Amino acid sequence: MKRGIIFVVGAVALTLSRLCAAGPADYVYTPAVEYGEREIDFKAGRANTHDADQNSAASLGFGYGAKPHWFTEFYAKYESQGAGATHFDAWEWENKFQLTETGEYPVDAGFVVELERPQDHSEGYEVRFGPLFQTEFGKVQLNGNLLFERYYRASTTEPMQFGYQWQAKYRWAEAFEFGLQGFGDVGPWDSWDPADQQSHRFGPAVFGKLPVGVHKAIRYNAALLLKASSGAPNSTFRMQIEYEF
Amino acid sequence: MRRIVFLILLLPSVCLAADVELQLSIRNHRFEPAELHVPAGKRIKLTVINRDPAAEEFESYELHREKLIPGNTSGTIYIGPLEPGRYPFFGDFHPKTTTGVIIAE
Repeated sequence: MKRGIIFVVGAVALTLSRLCAAGPADYVYTPAVEYGEREIDFKAGRANTHDADQNSAASLGFGYGAKPHWFTEFYAKYESQGAGATHFDAWEWENKFQLTETGEYPVDAGFVVELERPQDHSEGYEVRFGPLFQTEFGKVQLNGNLLFERYYRASTTEPMQFGYQWQAKYRWAEAFEFGLQGFGDVGPWDSWDPADQQSHRFGPAVFGKLPVGVHKAIRYNAALLLKASSGAPNSTFRMQIEYEF
Repeated sequence: MRRIVFLILLLPSVCLAADVELQLSIRNHRFEPAELHVPAGKRIKLTVINRDPAAEEFESYELHREKLIPGNTSGTIYIGPLEPGRYPFFGDFHPKTTTGVIIAE
């Protein structure tokens, strides 16, 4: 049973990675850690840019809830630009820390730290970090995250960048929830780019969890993000599928 | 910008204590008691004591909570405020026997 599910998830992942992709790391983090949980995680996305070109990316990772308040995940990331072939892009190590017990305070908090080592070593190391927030109103769940990103030991020096992500979802049923997601990049964290150079995207999203056995489930989410500023791609499709066990 | 980030970071520190504290045990892969009555509209601190040697995961879609409770340990779950109604929960490792319900009234 387990091998069959892994095969199906892998086959879907490989198929989708050819069809879509764009910023696979661009998924909305949530602050809660599920202690003891292991997951195989596939993400993909595709962005249609200003010149009708397409940038796509995908990642495959393994994650583990190592401690009650620490989740760690290791990814291999792939990308393609325009008509170019898909190629390996980077290794990434993500660590998420749950800072408050879920529901103890009006706002749940967490913190994420990612370390990425691009295949192109001239890019050095990318570090991405920031606080994660979540709150609920009845069946409505709201998330908002602030993310800071900086390259170290790169051939060129750039200031730390600032971005954000958010989602609002209605928990209609476990297998199908719906809402909105948004992502933005504003430039250097202490001196934002002019508005016409910033990237803001948002659009409809779906979410769900499908139990497939005792303590086993497939979780998914996907969104179609539309351009909300002149610096953003015209449209971006992004998705994530996780097999949890 | 820095002030905005600082204020957002302070948000979780707004503390609200739970109004009601309850205990729930897991023994022989069953919840004891299997039915909990709580007041609607109150914040609840639920301490789950796993008296079995095996781990169990408290799970409830209706309560939007998932928490692993290792064997012979306890864990705290904060829920509510709840609208009046029934909120089923179960143990994800033994979903056929480890079941229960919170009734908010």
